[in-house]
Amino acid sequence: MAELYVKPGNKERGWNDPPQFSYGLQIQAGGPKRTPLTKRVAAPQDGSPRVPTSETSGAPPMGPPPPSNKASRPPLVGSSPPSSTQPTNFPVVESETLPEDVLTPLEQALEDCRGHTKKQVCDDISRRLALLQEHWAGGKLSMPVKKRMALLVQELSSHQWDAADDIHRSLMVDHVTEVSQWMVGVKRLIAEKRILSSEEEANEEKSTATAEQNQTVPGIQQAP
Amino acid sequence: MATYLEFIQQNEERDGVRFSWNVWPSSRLEATRMVVPLACLLTPLKERPDLPPVQYEPVLCSRPTCKAILNPLCQVDYRARLWACNFCFQRNQFPPAYAGISEVNQPAELMPQFSTIEYVIQRGPQSPLIFLYVVDTCLEEDDLQALKESLQMSLSLLPPDSLVGLITFGRMVQVHELSCEGISKSYVFRGTKDLTAKQIQDMLGLTKPAVPVQPARPAQPHEQPFVSSRFLQPVHKIDMNLTDLLGELQRDPWPVPQGKRPLRSTGVAVSIAVGLLEGTFPNTGARIMLFMGGPPTQGPGMVVGDELKVPIRSWHDIEKDNARFMKKATKHYEMLANRAAANGHCIDIYACALDQTGLLEMKCCTNLTGGYMVMGDSFNTSLFKQTFQRIFSKDFNGHFRMAFGAILEVKTSRELKIAGAIGPCVSLNVKGPCVSENELGVGGTSQWKICGLDPTSTLGIYFEVVSQHNAPIPQGGRGAVQFVTHYQHSSTQRRIRVTTVARNWADAQSQLKHIEAAFDQEAAAVLMARLGVFRAESEEGPDVLRWLDRQLIRLCQKFGQYNKEDPTSFRLSDSFSLYPQFMFHLRRSPFLQVFNNSPDESSCYRHHFARQDLTQSLIMIQPILYSYSFHGPPEPVLLDSSSILPDRILLMDTFFQIVIYLGETIAQWQKAGYQDMPEYENFKHLLQAPLDDAQEILQARFPMPRYINTEHGGSQARFLLSKVNPSQTHNNLYAWGQETGAPILTDDVSLQVFMDHLKKLAVSSAC
Repeated sequence: MAELYVKPGNKERGWNDPPQFSYGLQIQAGGPKRTPLTKRVAAPQDGSPRVPTSETSGAPPMGPPPPSNKASRPPLVGSSPPSSTQPTNFPVVESETLPEDVLTPLEQALEDCRGHTKKQVCDDISRRLALLQEHWAGGKLSMPVKKRMALLVQELSSHQWDAADDIHRSLMVDHVTEVSQWMVGVKRLIAEKRILSSEEEANEEKSTATAEQNQTVPGIQQAP
Repeated sequence: MATYLEFIQQNEERDGVRFSWNVWPSSRLEATRMVVPLACLLTPLKERPDLPPVQYEPVLCSRPTCKAILNPLCQVDYRARLWACNFCFQRNQFPPAYAGISEVNQPAELMPQFSTIEYVIQRGPQSPLIFLYVVDTCLEEDDLQALKESLQMSLSLLPPDSLVGLITFGRMVQVHELSCEGISKSYVFRGTKDLTAKQIQDMLGLTKPAVPVQPARPAQPHEQPFVSSRFLQPVHKIDMNLTDLLGELQRDPWPVPQGKRPLRSTGVAVSIAVGLLEGTFPNTGARIMLFMGGPPTQGPGMVVGDELKVPIRSWHDIEKDNARFMKKATKHYEMLANRAAANGHCIDIYACALDQTGLLEMKCCTNLTGGYMVMGDSFNTSLFKQTFQRIFSKDFNGHFRMAFGAILEVKTSRELKIAGAIGPCVSLNVKGPCVSENELGVGGTSQWKICGLDPTSTLGIYFEVVSQHNAPIPQGGRGAVQFVTHYQHSSTQRRIRVTTVARNWADAQSQLKHIEAAFDQEAAAVLMARLGVFRAESEEGPDVLRWLDRQLIRLCQKFGQYNKEDPTSFRLSDSFSLYPQFMFHLRRSPFLQVFNNSPDESSCYRHHFARQDLTQSLIMIQPILYSYSFHGPPEPVLLDSSSILPDRILLMDTFFQIVIYLGETIAQWQKAGYQDMPEYENFKHLLQAPLDDAQEILQARFPMPRYINTEHGGSQARFLLSKVNPSQTHNNLYAWGQETGAPILTDDVSLQVFMDHLKKLAVSSAC
């Protein structure tokens, strides 16, 4: 679901900086592992190395490697295939995400919250949505951000709060420079909307519960 | 149970415990002759996806000096509803809730598979997690920007109802008031003056009645549960304002003249952070996260002056007693660390700079409180960013992999006493009948506090056998240890994890073979290494090495098979065969050798060594080396110069570095571009395989290691060359007759020479 890619570290600022994993890959890290590389060979007890087994030792170094048909492909240590490790080329744009596809539902959600959420919070969210619009219109947002925002809005509209929240997190982790200023508004909107809908549910339950109770009242009265 | 190896592995998976000896010598005298102490590595919160916690409280032994917890080793009389404590033999009545108990209806804690069990405590207030960011603003623009973004990002990763606070520092220290209204206020402190906890709390208005500092604020009695909520607010309430506040942070405005370091009041900033939490949330899990881009240069805790022409202390200065600020600074941070630990708060240090930042002086802040120490070159690196993100990683249940305010309590059978612990903990000074007078590590107590821990945090616990010589093997033939860890789970619940383990006693005179076969050489190596590193913090390096050598020789004398004065006859059994090479590599490791490392680097390496689990610790002692070739699947190879061959690719993991090294021929093939030709696709795969495996390691490792891609003759090949055993050097190259492997230009002793000397000494009757 989330983007899976690895990009090189910042070699200019960090000496031997490791590669950077996307949020999606970081989450996966807890998942099933290939065989861990933790085996050791015991040195012989006299400490001397065994005779090295370089089959090509002595061969002139400039000979070509064995061609594919001769040597089989070296199997990997792990049992399962490697995770996709190439930086994913972002898929060719199928359809341009339009700013209003994202903004309109967000603004709608904000409208729903007005009256239930503090005015100041709503204004704050609104300010950040305006910032989002501005950045989008100013061409400051990259394609993956736009696409993932469209997904986020879909999840939000279908009340998939956890999924929407997860997309927000993946955007914060993977594209913080682009999104940090306004994303917190979207994050808050997801949270407020979630509260609002759980309140509504609770209200509905309460009203049904009251209705049921009303029905049972005569029964109780009849009880000895 | 087929072999001891399987037994050891099963026990580690189930209980998070690895003992140096899995059959115990039954007398004190015999135990001391075993050389390696009876000890264990304990991972108190080892991840157990298959172990759901139980929702009730543990049953305690009624003897006030015992209070051991009911466990599968206890004898139970089901008819009389009594249980006998396996530690003090007290007979206890079951509580009323256990009325229905019978042989077929047992509570979980009596079943053998629940030697480790976790209880959720329903009582007591649940307190939120607290994160206090302490941020250096004397950074380069690029670094500050990256740090600000990481901090903003972290607001999305924090648990939404956790409390968060912000202190920034440069020449001055600012404590930011967080409010939902648009105005941001802060309290400013001078960075040169040390303040007591009381003064800090008074000035911040944390004491009641609130003392007005600065212009008095109108009182706001409504909906403010804590006075502190001005400085520590729930993330979900102030995330928007805090994002702006972080976004608006500027570099320290005070001009830095040429030839000077910026004035950094780190010592006061940490002091205020500790004081703030101490005054507001004592005994509640909290994390102070210190981000610094250079050394403290003024006020209490300064490590170096602001004159750039005077460099920060080196090992050489320390040896010559020429490190002016070291003692005083260390004392300052030790005082703070102890106060934080007393309140159950942990301190992390994220130090990102090219030069040293004073980790040597500040190490106690992390080491005593269970905080993390991370050392990077810049905040704008993937090393820092990802390490920081991983602090907030979650387990399979969606809970954060962090726990707070743990108290580890150890109970032992009468034949055993507790000598001490080594790990990210402080002593709670709880004396008792099971505490030994002989200390190993932090001793004199049966309880330790671990303010911050995660599922891999591991302590070394050392024991002493106290039974007299010739005393009969104790009743039941087994000795037992119980580890009780009270802690605050990241879900804010209080929990208690109880692990009860037992091992057989054996008479070392008649049953030495049993004891020998049950030796866990991996655990023993790590436990001895922890003792060595613990000593190295206070003793001179050569003394520690001599001590380790002496222990190794004695162990070989005791357990080797040999004819006196005949080194060639010397043999070690399988259960000891790897131990000498672990010691050989440990002697060369950065934990004991400070050459080529700055005092800060040594402190950081030792910090990680003293808290990682067995597998990771062993990687640190003896790095892992895998070889990739056309001749078969990748295979582990000897960490030896003879493994460096022209037609191989090597992958080395030292924990702190992942190195990929292309042999000479492979490197030439790569330069010639064979990997791009379709008929040599297999070569392309060969090049890719170690990259994929390295990625797998990088994805899981905490903290992020450095990643080095190098080849034969490359300058960075030194990382590999300095770790392998120099079996071929410029001195003996031609003696080998065959020109294979890579000679190392070193005068260091090789494993062969080391082993020759070891054997000579072991078989000699002189020592």
